[in-house]
Amino acid sequence: MRRILVCALLGLVASLADSREGLTARNGLIRGRVDLRRPAPPLGRRPNVAGLGAPPAHDHEDRLRSVVYLETAPRGAFEQYEGGRARMDQRNETFVPHVLAITAGTTVDFPNSDRIYHNVFSLSKAQPFDLGRYAVGRSKSVRFDRPGIVRVFCDIHSHMSAFILVFNHPFYAMTDAEGRYRIENVPPGTYNVIAWNEGVASEARPTTVPDGATAEVDFSLR
Amino acid sequence: MAAFALAIGAPVTAQGLPTDPITLAAGRVALGGDLSVVASCAHLPDGAGCGEDTGFFNYTDYKRSTVRLARLAFSASVRANRQFSFLTEVRSENGERPEPYALYARIRPWPTHAFDLQVGRIPPTFGTFGRRTYASDNLLIGYPLAYQYLTSLRPDAVPADADALLRMRGRGWLSNFTLGNTTPAHGLPLVSASRWDTGIQAHAAASWADASVAVTNGSLGNPRVSDDNAGKQVAGRVSLRPTPGLAIGVSGARAPYLTRDLLRAVVRESHSNAFNQTALGIDLEYSRDYYLLRAETIVSHWQLPTLEPALSATSLMVEGRYKLRPGRYVAARVDHLGFNEIVGTTRTAGWDAPLTRIEVGGGYRLQRNLELKMSVQRNVRDDGRVPRLTIGSAQIVFWF
Repeated sequence: MRRILVCALLGLVASLADSREGLTARNGLIRGRVDLRRPAPPLGRRPNVAGLGAPPAHDHEDRLRSVVYLETAPRGAFEQYEGGRARMDQRNETFVPHVLAITAGTTVDFPNSDRIYHNVFSLSKAQPFDLGRYAVGRSKSVRFDRPGIVRVFCDIHSHMSAFILVFNHPFYAMTDAEGRYRIENVPPGTYNVIAWNEGVASEARPTTVPDGATAEVDFSLR
Repeated sequence: MAAFALAIGAPVTAQGLPTDPITLAAGRVALGGDLSVVASCAHLPDGAGCGEDTGFFNYTDYKRSTVRLARLAFSASVRANRQFSFLTEVRSENGERPEPYALYARIRPWPTHAFDLQVGRIPPTFGTFGRRTYASDNLLIGYPLAYQYLTSLRPDAVPADADALLRMRGRGWLSNFTLGNTTPAHGLPLVSASRWDTGIQAHAAASWADASVAVTNGSLGNPRVSDDNAGKQVAGRVSLRPTPGLAIGVSGARAPYLTRDLLRAVVRESHSNAFNQTALGIDLEYSRDYYLLRAETIVSHWQLPTLEPALSATSLMVEGRYKLRPGRYVAARVDHLGFNEIVGTTRTAGWDAPLTRIEVGGGYRLQRNLELKMSVQRNVRDDGRVPRLTIGSAQIVFWF
């Protein structure tokens, strides 16, 4: 009798497992394009009337890249993240890349590739920091634990600025040179999707990701 | 499905006030602004509380004090092409009529070479502080003595003898002499940071050094738009950067500084070019990690038609800054200005009253371009109506 009961229980568990497997949702994809109607112009230098000569040329920031992200995300989406590394270089008096999107817990390295001092700092509420002055070949790091937008500057060169967008989930993507993006591995559901470019964010767009399928969302900014 | 909101879900900007210059015409035109308001309180000798700078320690003329000043400035640069740009800054101080502080053309004859000519009302060649025009560039609130403190010497009047000069010790804010213009007026600083000179400047730069030379209408202590003295000023500067964070500079300048009207009235002979202000300066800056250290010494000589030998003054300034936390720093400056001795009928003394100033303070940035500074300075002078004075100051600075 006991053997029959055990077999029945095992059968029940197996059938439950089978049916649960059948119910497991397949993750989907959100993709689309961000169209910048009026792209942010390259940032000019603050007029330095006290300069003895023309300032050296510096690279223009890539201000065409946007970030698309989910305003809301499935609970637990972030729980497995253990933190990685990213890099924001200081090169030719420019932060490269100009926009960095990371997940909270990521450590960002700020190497100095110029032959002059830089002093990276931010007074953003999400992550205030000041790395002090350091020379070419050296690098300092900051771990970003809180989500938010971190505006990054150089204390010596006022024309240097960058953005770091810190998310508490992995559902975000940078656009490519044509404005295209892909947010992969999104669990099925309905989300608010937002596009961001140079401090300007779109209205949240409710978007449903079908089971194992693709949702298309295009944005037009500025 | 459970969901939670992101902290950056709404349209956001990282900071409240604009931080970037305004750019037009695809970046060819850049506009910037600078607002600085300074309030101060001098500790009255009788303990009666808060008063004005009765010792005129911080005045740049009879009406204007660097520690009681509201200044609004707008600057613009217009880049016509790779070789020509135009730069200007218009300032209004204490609500007065705006005046062009800088107005010049910048010419780069060979676009691929770091060689520039600047023509017009140009940035100072001599020293360092004169080019730190923005309030945010000054670690503290007061100016270094060499760039602000008014000696009793004037460009339009001279003392008849040593006694007349000694009577004006510590009274540079309103000195008067019997030869030349007898109306009391403020004297000259060693180097004026309040106005820029007019002329032409050449500048060449390499990665480890830069050099500049200028010919202008005025003198270090009395920059001019139109020439009123006996000749042009020649100034030069060489700065070396042997390693990142270290800069060593040497500056020199020589110019006739007495007005033609004075020379006609006092000298009458035709050797007017002999009365020069000649100055030599050495400066050093070193920075690393969270600290910044600067030192500068300036020696200036003035020739007078009524006194021999030439008068001289020497300044020595050391200042430093240490960043405590993001947006917060402390700073201090020790500054001394001394004068050579002259012999009067009743006493031998420095021709002006030597002065020492110690200023300590700090800054707090509310955002990158919005800063609150506070400082306390102690002035000790060897003579004058108010020989000692402690002044507390607060400054708010906004720029874009």
